Amino acid sequence: MRNLTTNKENTWCPGCGNFGIFAAVKRSIESLVEQGEPMENIVMSCGIGCHGKMFDYLDISGIFGLHGRAASSASGIKIANPNLKVIVFGGDGDSMGEGLEHTLFAAKRNIDITLILHNNGTYGLTTGQASPLSETGYRGLSTPQGNLEAPFHSLGLIMEAGASFVARAYSARIPQLSELITQAVLHKGFSFIEVLQPCVSYNNTYDLYNSKTKNLDAMPASDEEAIKLAKDEEDIYLGIFRQQQRPVFDIEVQSKAKAMDRQERFAYLESRQF
Amino acid sequence: MHRGIFSVLIGGKAGEGVKKAAQVIAQIAMDRDNFIFQADDYQSAIRGAHNFSIVSICRERLYSAYKSVQLIVSFDKKSVLKHNSSLKEGGIHFCDEQDAIEGCIALPLNRLMKEHYTSGANLSLSAVAIFARLAGLDKDELEELIRAEFRRNQDENISFAKAIYDELAALDISLSCDLKNPGVSAPRKGYTGNQLISLGAWAAGLDSYYSYPMTPASSILHFYARYRDELGVVAIHTESELAAANMAIGAILAGSKAAVGSSGGGIALMQEAFSLAGMVEAPLLMFLSSRPGPATGASTYSAQEDLNFALYQGHGEFPRIVASPDSYERALSLSAELLDLAWESQSPAILLTEKHLSESMYNMDLDASSLPQSDPVMKEPASPYNRYAFADDGVSPIKYPGEGNAEAGDVIKWNSNEHTEDGVRADDADEITAMKDKRKKKQELINKLSKSYQRVAEYGEGEMLVFAYGSTVLELREAQKYLDFKIVAPIYLDPFPDEELEEYRGKKAVVVEHSANPNFAGYLKAKLGLEVIKDVLRYDGRPYDADELVNILKEVKDA
Repeated sequence: MRNLTTNKENTWCPGCGNFGIFAAVKRSIESLVEQGEPMENIVMSCGIGCHGKMFDYLDISGIFGLHGRAASSASGIKIANPNLKVIVFGGDGDSMGEGLEHTLFAAKRNIDITLILHNNGTYGLTTGQASPLSETGYRGLSTPQGNLEAPFHSLGLIMEAGASFVARAYSARIPQLSELITQAVLHKGFSFIEVLQPCVSYNNTYDLYNSKTKNLDAMPASDEEAIKLAKDEEDIYLGIFRQQQRPVFDIEVQSKAKAMDRQERFAYLESRQF
Repeated sequence: MHRGIFSVLIGGKAGEGVKKAAQVIAQIAMDRDNFIFQADDYQSAIRGAHNFSIVSICRERLYSAYKSVQLIVSFDKKSVLKHNSSLKEGGIHFCDEQDAIEGCIALPLNRLMKEHYTSGANLSLSAVAIFARLAGLDKDELEELIRAEFRRNQDENISFAKAIYDELAALDISLSCDLKNPGVSAPRKGYTGNQLISLGAWAAGLDSYYSYPMTPASSILHFYARYRDELGVVAIHTESELAAANMAIGAILAGSKAAVGSSGGGIALMQEAFSLAGMVEAPLLMFLSSRPGPATGASTYSAQEDLNFALYQGHGEFPRIVASPDSYERALSLSAELLDLAWESQSPAILLTEKHLSESMYNMDLDASSLPQSDPVMKEPASPYNRYAFADDGVSPIKYPGEGNAEAGDVIKWNSNEHTEDGVRADDADEITAMKDKRKKKQELINKLSKSYQRVAEYGEGEMLVFAYGSTVLELREAQKYLDFKIVAPIYLDPFPDEELEEYRGKKAVVVEHSANPNFAGYLKAKLGLEVIKDVLRYDGRPYDADELVNILKEVKDA
């Protein structure tokens, strides 16, 4: 197994939840390769924000695209080559704000990519403004009087949109997070993991998560139960909330035609009347 | 002055089959070795709004439809009133008995339709039957035609059409449309520009198309979607144009030859991704079919007001290719050329066109001989692989992730942040400059590569020089049948074909374009020092017909 860390100087703040996600992802990739997945098949797509620096530090192929569009770029990659395992790293501003539509549509289509939501409840890289997942009353440079909006509930949204694998993890619990990432990547269909990620500079939630997170006893038996548990504010549940099988978009959408080279296409063009 | 041109106008409400009637009439003419040009004028509505289509038919090649017509069939009163003045001397205007005004021939269109259909009534059959009668088809030929062209309600369609045909037989009608064209074999199939654009890129290897519907580009998406399992092209109707462009770039990363398309508004939404293509060096092919703007504008009409938008598409600096087809044949070949050029230079390319070419129909044979004959030459990747390895011409070898394409040790990083050769973010001043210089080098390569294609078209001879681009050239070529002038039509707009146009530097010329401001004229002045003696600007969304252009150009000539 080759080293999965680049030489790029790491600029995440000391104690940043991203370190836990980074460690867990590397462990998952090692596990996937051990299980027989070719290293060259593992590809990533990142949005813009602190989470996106994963691209600079994780030494695998992929695209560091536009803010909000990580799921779109990843979807294009997957449709072009369904053999690839595509892992999307999205921030809460990225995947739940600027690019919310792409997150929901990826779930709706059930395209076989894995979206890891780095939920730190703030815009870290742009100095702590409110994110779509920030609590009401959150004070930041863009909401000095307190956030007037109520936060989205990412797991509720993604389940309603049709995600076929839905889980929650905590960046400080690396073995569980790593195991969930591996399962999500191996799941056939759209998989979504909300990772609770403290931002030590703007939204330090370590105490909150250390005291309130609790593992699910088992996968909830129904959607109603899953959504209820996901939205529980007394206990913040970790684990798999949903795992279902349904047709996978990137397979269904492929053409059934045989491949034609240029000369075959020319001949067909001239003989076929459209 | 018209040399045996017979034009038919069908008018009615949206949903009445106006366009379909025109297509079938065009097919009758093509089947008998005539040239056709069909233009559809419709509003953004599914039911009720006024639509009309014109088919011009000629024994010689036609480049545009004529607005003065020999035959009008009006399906409703609005059409009767709106189009009666378009009738030429000796022409006939047929309409329903309820809608007739002086000079029209009243037919019991609606009464017969009610008699002959139990459901699925289709007024368009009446226009087909009228034309068939005037063109000398017998009833058996009419029946055969309807069976071929209309899939549903065939028996009722045939009995209705025959009833209309018989109505005409009872009238004393002197007008006829002689379709005999001995010694000529005209193409039997009509194509819209969008079909040819779709086919051209496909022939050059297009694998996937990502788009969100927007008139007049939607039919490209429809075409690829329809022929997915026949042609081997994946067509995705995405949630938005933002998704389309970003998905296409992801697909390109994974080795798919991908394109996107829209009209101005949708392309505006793709602008940031167009810049991403410039930054990550993705060979993204973009089809921009213009309609009058700004914003939602006049959604079903034609315009050329996006020239500067195309030339300066995206933010930031990076090389791109912009070209516009001046003919239907070129729509096919240019679309293929641009896909190849994009891949050879790993730069985004825009095929700029207009609703007029995108949606109007012209008959031609599909001929691949004008298309680039071999696949673009791709460089061999070195080991270890660096996505943005420096090169003399600025182009780094491309390699795709995945088993069979790459090795386990390969790291292929496409980065929207400024980056070093390995694709990892760069913040250092020298690194930023070095990578910008690398991309800049591709401009020279693009100039060089584009020269292997025809970059300028010239048509006709005459003292008067007329510059135009895109489908305006079609309008001018039809006008050229009646007036001597020389058309100079740049096909490639960026890179600008300086060498080919050098002989026109500082010359006096007329510039014709479909925009409110002389954008193209301004571009030519800046690039070529052209002395523009007249800006002919039209911006009502409608094409010029030959009569209109001849009048305008005669005035310029005589001035």
